Amino acid sequence: MEFGWSPDEEAHRVRVRAVLHRTLPADWEQISMHGPGSAEQTAFSKVMCAALAREGLLISHWPRAFGGEDEAVWRQFILGEELWEAGEPRGPQYMNVNWVGPVMMRFGTAAQLDKYLPPIRAGQAVWCQGFSEPSAGSDLAALRTEALPVEGGYRVTGAKIWTSYAGLADTCFLLARVPVTQGGLGGKAAIVILLVDMRSPGIQVKQIPSLIGEGDIHEVFFDQVFVPATERFGAEGQAWEIISYLLQHERIGIPRYAFSRRVLDRGVARLKRLGRWTDPSVRDRAGRALAYCEAARLLIYRIVDGKARSLPPDDFAALARWATVQADNAVNDFLTEFLPDGLLGADPVQQAHHQRAIAAGIASGAAEIQLNIAAQRWLDLPREPRR
Amino acid sequence: MDYSLTADQASILDGLEQLIEAHSPAAPTQPRTVYDAPSLEAALVESGYLGIAREADFGLLEAALVTERLARLPWAVEVAASALVAPALRIDAQLRPVALCSGNLDTPARFLRTAQVLLVLRDEEALLVRLEGAKITPVESLLAYPYGRLADCSRPVEHLGDARVLRRRWRIALAAEAAGCMAAALALVLEHVRNRHAFGRPLGAFQAIQHRLAMAAEAVEASRWLALRAAWSDSEQDAATAAGFAQAQIPQLTYDLHQFCGAMGLTLEFPLHLWTYRLRALLGELGGASAQLRGAAEATWGL
Repeated sequence: MEFGWSPDEEAHRVRVRAVLHRTLPADWEQISMHGPGSAEQTAFSKVMCAALAREGLLISHWPRAFGGEDEAVWRQFILGEELWEAGEPRGPQYMNVNWVGPVMMRFGTAAQLDKYLPPIRAGQAVWCQGFSEPSAGSDLAALRTEALPVEGGYRVTGAKIWTSYAGLADTCFLLARVPVTQGGLGGKAAIVILLVDMRSPGIQVKQIPSLIGEGDIHEVFFDQVFVPATERFGAEGQAWEIISYLLQHERIGIPRYAFSRRVLDRGVARLKRLGRWTDPSVRDRAGRALAYCEAARLLIYRIVDGKARSLPPDDFAALARWATVQADNAVNDFLTEFLPDGLLGADPVQQAHHQRAIAAGIASGAAEIQLNIAAQRWLDLPREPRR
Repeated sequence: MDYSLTADQASILDGLEQLIEAHSPAAPTQPRTVYDAPSLEAALVESGYLGIAREADFGLLEAALVTERLARLPWAVEVAASALVAPALRIDAQLRPVALCSGNLDTPARFLRTAQVLLVLRDEEALLVRLEGAKITPVESLLAYPYGRLADCSRPVEHLGDARVLRRRWRIALAAEAAGCMAAALALVLEHVRNRHAFGRPLGAFQAIQHRLAMAAEAVEASRWLALRAAWSDSEQDAATAAGFAQAQIPQLTYDLHQFCGAMGLTLEFPLHLWTYRLRALLGELGGASAQLRGAAEATWGL
């Protein structure tokens, strides 16, 4: 058991910091305030990800066969920790390298790999995920968007909602259902995954004004949108297997606590400058927020450690997700109470953190679903009977 | 970074399991607030588990692993102070059990009835009181440790110097012990809610209960890893963070675990109190959660 970093890992962290120092512009804090799906961050993500690609840092964890370097899990995680601490300047492209690419490598056709991987490798691709619908959020299997089989492909009709990055995305990783009357297999097996060009006729994207920043959530309407059969991802009936695989990549091991910790450090520095650090109640609450950040860190490390040792994924990730939500909120609550002017223009980074923290338990599925998973799969408690 | 046990650590814990199996008393049958286990304690001393931090090839992390495991037992055995605190103060390994208190010498202390030495955290100084021949008054309480009070406060006091080492190691000891108590209490309640039925289904099938037990599990896991990291680093920041986090979890955790056992959990017959009332004892040590969390803040960002 070892809680320290090897010299190689330490050196890697120093290098990542140097790259960030060189690449982040002086007005990064202002850019980051607009939110990861904003036009500003989306545009900057192409600068940042291109720079990471030039440095060999963007997809270094991918297999060599796909342009990566088979980089060690902990080195890749250190990169993620440093990027999150900086406010995740990869913007919407974080998901390209975290799960779109890896899922593509596992399930995509040769033609799909040729088409979609190069822009991801170059740091120039923007994807959105068409999962949630007005009546299917955390209960993803209830989705209703239809994909009617037609000659040469599918016609898609339906609506998606809460879709991050949709306004500027090139491609949508869309889940839709083939109706049973049209040959669909029924239930989860009727779901197909389609890679949809967002410039296709019949797609309308409407931004939803929100508390969490510009460009982060949208409604996306599909009206008889034609998707060629070559853009179906995986076989019919295989979608749920693919979704389960990608959710394992999407939802676990994200070092959100690193950003919370940085914002907490900034908040404490401000409180000191304001002469408020002498108040023991301030130090108490800061220490509490710190403890929640460190708890989240160590539980996320537990997941990464499993990956690094090639252990099969387990449901511990559900506990770590809860710890992460706790950490984000502990820091946010502390700063909102003791530094309210941070939300009144005094600190753009605090504002950006606030907007991420309030979505921490909602984005990527409600945290309460994670508690269900933890209870039933990690603690082996019986399922609540369905009514 | 590596969360797996080394071969030596796994071997230590395997050996400990065998020792527990061989020397544990029979399961408690009499309704009492605290149970000791003299034969197990003697075996732990004899086999060197309590002195493992003093061994050349081992250290605090191994001592914390041993402490956490033994805290999951229903018996109150003085482990944490001997294994994690005394070695840092260069106290002879034979001088045990070790009792800890802060403030006045006559503050009630865990294990004082049988202790050979009392370590006192007073102001910013660490003190030592040898207890051979001392008069100790037993203190009866709900808290599931044997408590005593030093009746003769005029005994000679040795000054060990700066309190930082004592406080830091006490925090690590507290965190490791609390993590073990939490894990055992949670395991007991999980078993209870799987088997106890109400309204035609197991209690554990109710989502309201599942969610709070999942939160409890997160608190237990986080407490454990924070404690182990603190033992690994032996740093002020990690020690205060681990102890403060664990103490901050105790009120909600103990409330929930008792709540899910209903009136049964309020009886001495049901063993839950053997862990929850040790946790409540630990909650009040070193000034409570706020003192540790302020300590963590000061160690991280200065004063």
